[in-house]
Amino acid sequence: MQSKKAKIILLIVFAISVFFFSSDFGLIDVEKTAIITAIAVDKDNNDYEVTAQIAVPEATDTNSENLKTQITGKASTIGGAIKNLGDFSGWFPKLAFCNLILIGENLTDDNVIDVLDYFAKSLRVQDSALVAMTEGKAGELISKATPLDNISAFALQKIMLKNIGFDADIASTDIKTFCQGHYSINGSAFMPIVKDVKSSEDNPQSNSGGQSSGGSGSSNQSGGSSKKEDNNNLFDARTTALFLNGKKVGELSPELTQTYNALFSAFEGTTFPVDNVTFNGQNTNYLLSVVDCMPKVKLHATENDLTLKIQLNMYCKVSDHSASGSSEALSQNMPIPDRVKEKAEQFFAKNIEELVMTEKQTGCDFMDIKQKLYRFNHKQYSRYKDNYLSVLKTDISVSVYGQK
Amino acid sequence: MQFELKTRQVCLFFIAFMPLSKLFIMPSIMSGYANEDAWLCATLNLLLDFVTLLFVLRAIRNTKMNVYRLLERTIGKTFAKCVLFLYLIYFTLKNLLPLNEQKEYVMRTLYTLTPTLLYFLPFFFVAFYFCTKNLRVIGRTADVLWLVTAIGIIILFCLSFSNIELSALLPIGANGAFSVLKGSCASLTWFGDAVYLLFFMGEFKFNKGDEKKIILSFIVSAVAIICFVIVFYTVFQSIAFRQKFALTEISKYSTVINNIGRFDYIGIMMVLFSNLFGLSIPLFFSCKILNYVFSIKKKWISPLIITSLHALIIMLFYKRVFSIEQFIMNYTGIFFFIMANVLPIIICLTAKKEDKNAIKES
Repeated sequence: MQSKKAKIILLIVFAISVFFFSSDFGLIDVEKTAIITAIAVDKDNNDYEVTAQIAVPEATDTNSENLKTQITGKASTIGGAIKNLGDFSGWFPKLAFCNLILIGENLTDDNVIDVLDYFAKSLRVQDSALVAMTEGKAGELISKATPLDNISAFALQKIMLKNIGFDADIASTDIKTFCQGHYSINGSAFMPIVKDVKSSEDNPQSNSGGQSSGGSGSSNQSGGSSKKEDNNNLFDARTTALFLNGKKVGELSPELTQTYNALFSAFEGTTFPVDNVTFNGQNTNYLLSVVDCMPKVKLHATENDLTLKIQLNMYCKVSDHSASGSSEALSQNMPIPDRVKEKAEQFFAKNIEELVMTEKQTGCDFMDIKQKLYRFNHKQYSRYKDNYLSVLKTDISVSVYGQK
Repeated sequence: MQFELKTRQVCLFFIAFMPLSKLFIMPSIMSGYANEDAWLCATLNLLLDFVTLLFVLRAIRNTKMNVYRLLERTIGKTFAKCVLFLYLIYFTLKNLLPLNEQKEYVMRTLYTLTPTLLYFLPFFFVAFYFCTKNLRVIGRTADVLWLVTAIGIIILFCLSFSNIELSALLPIGANGAFSVLKGSCASLTWFGDAVYLLFFMGEFKFNKGDEKKIILSFIVSAVAIICFVIVFYTVFQSIAFRQKFALTEISKYSTVINNIGRFDYIGIMMVLFSNLFGLSIPLFFSCKILNYVFSIKKKWISPLIITSLHALIIMLFYKRVFSIEQFIMNYTGIFFFIMANVLPIIICLTAKKEDKNAIKES
């Protein structure tokens, strides 16, 4: 009796195991898998052109570089184009590792949300995947070789996704954040613009306006070490594209992007230059590093006026300066001269004013003023919801300080 | 008198199983109706359950009878069977969406390719075994699984903290009472946990002070549920209604996850494991009701009927899940409200009267 019961239990356990293993745990044959690392979307007439950068898994016991390939699929919908990728290649397009979506410039005149909605709704793609717009065709940019990594998508991710403590000079965004902004009451969102910068050329953005950030310097250094002629592409993503109701309405320059980051994201560790400070008739250039950044952006709404109060307090230290021969230069904790502080304060105050001006001109509420009105001044929401940008006043105060 | 359960196990039951089914699509459904007031929908439903729980506790204090005997004494055996048969339908409908959510969740997130439908069959084997046991099995699983559930939820909470923006909940009540009521009504299928206490009635020794312990455990679970809805909404804000599976979504934007990988799946797996038993509980009570209504003596007959019925429903409506969701959310709200709140309160009120009469008679 006992053994009969044991046999029945064993049979049941076996049957359950068969069911458990019935789909091989969902494993896919590695030879038939296309691990898509990035997707570039362009528009060709009325069709979407989806280019997938694919890391090809290869069984090997030796160290080798990442192998990649690129396939393009076309269809009237994004989902259809991705399906075509699988149909043409015989590979099962696996999007779980796709961490980057590039959108071509020609798509930004239409509603980009038509593209991003597919990725946001589909459970096949993580909506934490980064989103960026490209200057020119996205498919062309992604196919460019770079000395940073054999797979250009990985190089782009390194540039766009920086941890706290690195320079916050890119307004990176992901599918979730972009859609969140688009579907919010202000219908505004932003994403970085990726530009191809030849390592042999000077970076045009860093020269405009007389300000250049530490980030570009390091990029150029990396590029300088490249020896291959066709492998000398670097990427610059410090310019930001602004979107209103899914359409591109304006851009933020690298300086404005950096100031935006100072106000709305983790800014500690970022460096910024303060050039041409005159001491005893001699020009000195400084590079300040932000140790602590305390921004406050508050909206005050009354029956009579609407004021955006912006306070930016930054505790900085001198990271580098061009003066030579002074005993101060040897000090690790060199005090920041007052003139340098003043110039830095002026720089940020001017940029904040420009940010507000850009917001008013483009209508893209990237500073979430309407949300602040809705959430914190709900009684006045109906009064200002349609004209908040035109009646908005600003009260800006910037304070840069350091060790005395 | 030998009791099947201990008060400790009843308390841990609420912590181990009450939050589980509410962690999948429910927060997104509520957000669809009430946006930033989604947490008010959850709070309203939990308040309803809390009131019901207080009435059940009153009844437990006044009588030592279980719900079957109580109903028999109040309305007679035939009507008692009718009422309990309604509860059989209630448990079947109540479990339909949570069961399907677990199935869908496992299929969509843990499998790369769409697996055959058989992958979910082992659940019904586990549920069958669970249902053949007596009430003690619920107590023992609660004893073990409360910690698994708690750790799972804490991991998910910790990983989401960096992404929450509490100001997204403002202004409170801006969507209007009607939206909150609609969201609350549509989500009643995930609530009604006080009914379980009604079925635990007379099955555990109720001492002085036990009332407070049970209330406290209910409140702990209720707070965890409200916090989860708040965290979910404040992470996704305007797109919360589009994020179907809250469980996977809330934690994955953390910087740690970006750097190390999806170790939040440890927490997710813990919740899924506990839910395996959580989903078996309505099936368990359905079996006991079936045994009572049709006087079935053999232990395995009811579990076989009930688990087969659930398996059949899941398989038949495999491709029409959306229609089932819409039907349950739009048309069964009143039924759930009556079965989970109104009827238990009426039963408990009659219990009090019966008990007083009994005292007078004696």
